[in-house]
Formats: sequence, structure tokens, C-alpha cells
Amino acid sequence: MTNDSTHATSAEVTAIDSQARGPLCVLLASGLAWLVISGVLGVITSIQLHTPGFLADCSFLTFGRAQALRETSFLYGWIANSGLAVALWVLGRLGGSPLRVLNWAVAGALFWNLGLTIGLIGIGTGDMTSFGFFQLPRYVQPLMLIAYGAIALPGVLAWSGRRTSGLYASQWYGVAALFLFPWLFSAAQIVLLWAPLRGTLQAVAAGWYTQSLWSLWLAPLALTGAYYIVPKVAGRSMPSYDFSSLGFWTLVVIGGWTGGRHLVGGPVPAWIATMAVVACSMMLFHYIVVALNLRIASHGSGTAIRFIRFGLVAYSLTGLLDALSSFRGVAVEWQFTLLATALEQLGLYGGISMMIFGGIYYMVPRLTGRPWASGALTSGHRVLVSLGVVLLIVTLAVGGWTQGDELLNPKLGVGTIYTQLKLSLMIGTAANVALLAANLFLLVNFIRSAVVCCGTSAAAESAFRQPAALEAHAS
Amino acid sequence: MKNGFIFLVGLFAAIAMSWGGIVLGTHAQLGSLTPYYDDTEGKSFPERTTGLAARGQLVYADLGCAACHTQQVRRPDYGSDQARGWGDRQSVARDYIHQARPQLGASRIGPDLTNLAGRKPSAMDSEDLMKLLYVGSGTHPSYKFLFVEKQIVGESSARALRVSGAGAVAAGHEIVPSERAQTLVAYLLSLNTAYDYPESRPLPPPAKAAPAAGHAETHAAPAAKSEMKQEAKK
Repeated sequence: MTNDSTHATSAEVTAIDSQARGPLCVLLASGLAWLVISGVLGVITSIQLHTPGFLADCSFLTFGRAQALRETSFLYGWIANSGLAVALWVLGRLGGSPLRVLNWAVAGALFWNLGLTIGLIGIGTGDMTSFGFFQLPRYVQPLMLIAYGAIALPGVLAWSGRRTSGLYASQWYGVAALFLFPWLFSAAQIVLLWAPLRGTLQAVAAGWYTQSLWSLWLAPLALTGAYYIVPKVAGRSMPSYDFSSLGFWTLVVIGGWTGGRHLVGGPVPAWIATMAVVACSMMLFHYIVVALNLRIASHGSGTAIRFIRFGLVAYSLTGLLDALSSFRGVAVEWQFTLLATALEQLGLYGGISMMIFGGIYYMVPRLTGRPWASGALTSGHRVLVSLGVVLLIVTLAVGGWTQGDELLNPKLGVGTIYTQLKLSLMIGTAANVALLAANLFLLVNFIRSAVVCCGTSAAAESAFRQPAALEAHAS
Repeated sequence: MKNGFIFLVGLFAAIAMSWGGIVLGTHAQLGSLTPYYDDTEGKSFPERTTGLAARGQLVYADLGCAACHTQQVRRPDYGSDQARGWGDRQSVARDYIHQARPQLGASRIGPDLTNLAGRKPSAMDSEDLMKLLYVGSGTHPSYKFLFVEKQIVGESSARALRVSGAGAVAAGHEIVPSERAQTLVAYLLSLNTAYDYPESRPLPPPAKAAPAAGHAETHAAPAAKSEMKQEAKK
């Protein structure tokens, strides 16, 4: 099944799109390849959770290492490549002129993925850093920092050289994501890897990095696409747009202060956790503004908007549950359980990834000038990935809920509690298999669409029109 | 937000504030935490870990053990950590000052290991740990790659594992822990937080006579106060 938003009539393909086609396709292809790789690792780790002996004898894939590999390839492979592709494209369109220095983005993407590959081999052979979301070995991090700068450069230039006078919400989010990641990545490198802080201060700094990565990079990357696409597909102007800047600054200013969310009751100063409780609650304002602005997503039709709609619901839920779970009374039960994993997946898969999927479904036909190669693969991906995400999160949450409850009862041994989790964990494996299959569909569909386009690129090139004014006003 | 420069300055200020507040703030508070010298015992705590154990912590980190095991005991009235025998007191920042890479962990699929070697009435010994690592159990993977199976030439190794049943090897062969397994076990056996620091003394049990003893608030209030006192001391 395909419909309007996944098709682009040739009139919609602009010079901005056709010139960016090759470089952005490189980013997207790498992103989707990493998504499939992290999907394979996701299946492996989920099997290991209920069958501890699975691949345990393979030192590259102990549960801890496989988990780090899965997380790293998901964040720095899938979200980074695809999220940046969508952000660059949106910034180019809103800047009103074709993206410049795209060669830098291609070179950056190659080095970024090279660094990531070396990093993953490093994790497999025992060089991981053991900080959540920050597992990449020390020796590849500087390379990745430089590569990131190269990828981001066209986006920054498109923004600084924009022809339009104002700035739109998607531009704030896009520029914030491009600009802030190098700062937080390097700040974390300094205090965790090059001149490590003492003792548990490392955990505080790692917590700051994890939460900042969420609120200053992952969320802005996803919202860049959502703020651009939703009003276009829904065909309406954005309600409560005046609030959107307040929502943006709440995310940026408060986001980093939620760093102590996972350290409640830990061996760190108590104010760290208290600050996180306050910050998580204040962040609700951001989530409410995003929900208010983008509530028009309920109107449009098409694959892209359906993904974004799913993503927005999951994103808002993440905000709400983050705030709830930061309270000490709730954290005592939820902390250290699968509920924390469920919440993380809700944000990363249900929220961020679904919005990026939406962005990809909207963007690719406009880059290639043709509809997606296969409608069946498109709808297959949508159905399977939605089912997989819901199933994964629900089973993890149900399992985590019982686990948290039972962990409070000292009469039940940890082994017994774990044994009782097995059913949930097995359903979790089924969900991971569904996700892997779904993402394979997307990869195949993307490759077919991109290959067809390359064969006939000249024809598509001739089909653009003068676009700037039309493209720039909708966000 | 039409001025791009001010926009970027705003972004930078936002990230600098949270980094300064959280990272530098805690560093200013706890960065110079020193070991605690006990006059009666005549030595400082926490004691430095041996070289073998320090190397073992690197093995613990690179295998990703923290994916299932935490190393942080929460205070007695917060969760069931104390009742499970994971530690008589809460973990405090001073416990970790000698550790190059504290492994606090974020998931309790397996038990907490903060005080593994100080468990009462009996803690696991080296042989138990080696067997768990080699044979595994229904809930723990077996990491056979940490061991070497070799033919016995002459006398059998003093370190050889005595395993029977599932993990048994053919006659004339023995299982010897590799160097990594030895350092890992040395590290696990060094995990002991028996010493009470002034800031970690268990809270006085709530008065049983108090009319509202069942209410969480009555427990929480003294807890919060003592936390504040500890902070003031630091």
C-alpha cells in the first residue's frame, strides 16, 4: 500500500533535493545497514536474556558485550546516520538553496562509519568503556568527533547562509542537534576517558552525558523532521506555534540537568537525584508543547505521517514516564529492572526511530523523484515494526513490573525472580525478530528505490522546478 | 531567534550550565574526598586494592559484567538491599575512590556484588567463583573461554578446577583458569565494604513505639535529615 506522502510527484523534486541525492543516500544506506546489524544483535541479546548459555562461550558476544554492541550500533550507526540525513535535508530545504560542500558529508560519513566499525570490533575484543550510551573505545572517539563535524558542515552552512529571514522550529532543533553533539561528546570524553574523574563522579558525568545525548541530540534530531513534515502533510498551520520556542528552550536548558535520573539512592550526592526529579518534571512542559504543536499530525494520511504519529505518542509517553520514574518512591521499584529498559526502548525505538522512519518515508521519494519501489514492503515494514515495538515495550514493562515488585521482597532470591521472567523475555525475543524482519524490509525497499533512481537519474533531474518559496514556508 | 550568533551562544550557555553544575559541581564537592583514617585500627579505609584485583576490575569491565550486576547498595530503608544481605550499609562515594572504573551498573538481572566477599554467614570462595564462571548455572552463563583445558603432564596444576558432572573433562586432562580468570576472581574477592565510615553508619531503626511506624514518611524524614548532615560534613 502506498499513498500520497510516500509518492512524490515529479513537481516536488527540487534542485535542493536532486543535488543532495547521492550524499544523503550514502548516509541513509549506512543508517539502515546499521539498523539491521543492531537488530541481529538485539535478537542475540534477547535470546541470551532467557537462555544464558547462548553464545556465552564466544568471548566477543558475552551478554555485556553484545548489549554494548547493540546499543552502540543503534545510536551511532542507525540514529546518527539517518537522523543526520533527515536533518541535513530539512535544513537544506528550509535554507532555500542547495546544500553546499556535500562532499564533506560523504567523507565524514565514510570516516564516521569506519570509526564505528573499528569501535565495535574494539568493544567485541574488550575495549569498551562501560559507560551507558558511551561504550565506544577511547581510540576511535576523536576520529568520530572530526567525522561528525564534516557530516554536519553542510547543515550548518545551509543554516548560516539561509535566504529566508526567519527561523523555523525545525531549524532550531536541527541546528541544536548539529551544534551541540560535538560539545557534549567531547566534554564527556575529557572527563571520562582522557582525564577521568574520581570514583563515582564518573557515574555522575556518564549520567549527564546519557541524558544530554537524549535531550540535546536524539530528541532534536527526530523533532527536526517531525516539525517540518507534519504541517506539510496535515496541510494546516501549526497550532500554538508561539509556544514552540519555549518548548525548545525548555528542552535545551533543562535537558542536561536530568542527568541524575538513574542515580537515585546511589553513592552520589543526594542533590543530584533531587535535581533530576525537578528537571524531569519541568521537562514535561517541553513534551506538552510538542504535543500541542504537532497534534495536527492526527489529520494527514500516508505512511510518513503514520510513523510520525506513532513516534509522537511514544515520545510524549516517554517524557511522562521519565518524570514519573524519577521520583524516589517510584524509582525504588523501577530502578535496575527491565522497566528501565522498556522505558529506554520506548524513547529510542518508539519515539526517535519511528519519527526518523517517518522522515525517511517522506524524504526518499523526494530525493529520488519516484515512489518507493514496493508498496508491499512499505506496509509490511510499518505493520511489523509497529507490532514489534509495542510487543517489545509491553513485555519488557510487564516483566519489569513484576521484577521490581519481587525485588522488594527479600524472601525471593534473585535467581527465582529471574526464572519467573523467562516468559516475558521469550516474547521479547519474538518482538526482536519481528523488528529485525521489518527493518530488513525497509533496507531492501530502500536499496531497490535508490538503485532504480540511479539508473535514471537524468530523467529525474529534469523534473525539478523553482521551489524556494514554496518549500520554506510550511514549518 | 533571528540572530544566529545569539542563538548559538544560547545553546552553548545551556550545555555549559548543565555540565558546569552537574559535573563540575559534584567534582568540587567530592573530587578531593580522601580515605578515612581510623585511629583504633591504625590504617586508612578504603584500603587500596591489590594489583591483581585492579587488573581484575578491567576484566570485569571489558566482559560487560555490569550489564547484569550492580555494585551499589541502597540505604537500608530504601529497597530490600540490606535484607537480601547485599550489605549492612549503603554504599557511599568514599567506597569507590581507589577504583579506576567504578562499575555501579544499572540492572539487577543478577545479584548486587558490592560486598560479595563480605557476605554473611558465608561468602563464596575462590573455588565457588571459578566453578560458577566455568560451569555456569541455570541463571549464569558459563564463560569457558576464561579457562584452558590441557593435558596433564607430570603433576597436575595446583590451580586446576575440580569439576564433576556437566563440566567434567576426559581423564588425563585438567581445566586451568587463565590469567584473566584469576584476576577476575581476585577482584571479586576484593569486593568488601565491611568498614563503616562516619557518613555510612546505618540509620537508627525507626522507633517501634511511634504511632505511625507503618508509614513511609516516618522513615523517610530521619533518612533525609541524616543525608543532609552527611552532605554538610562533606
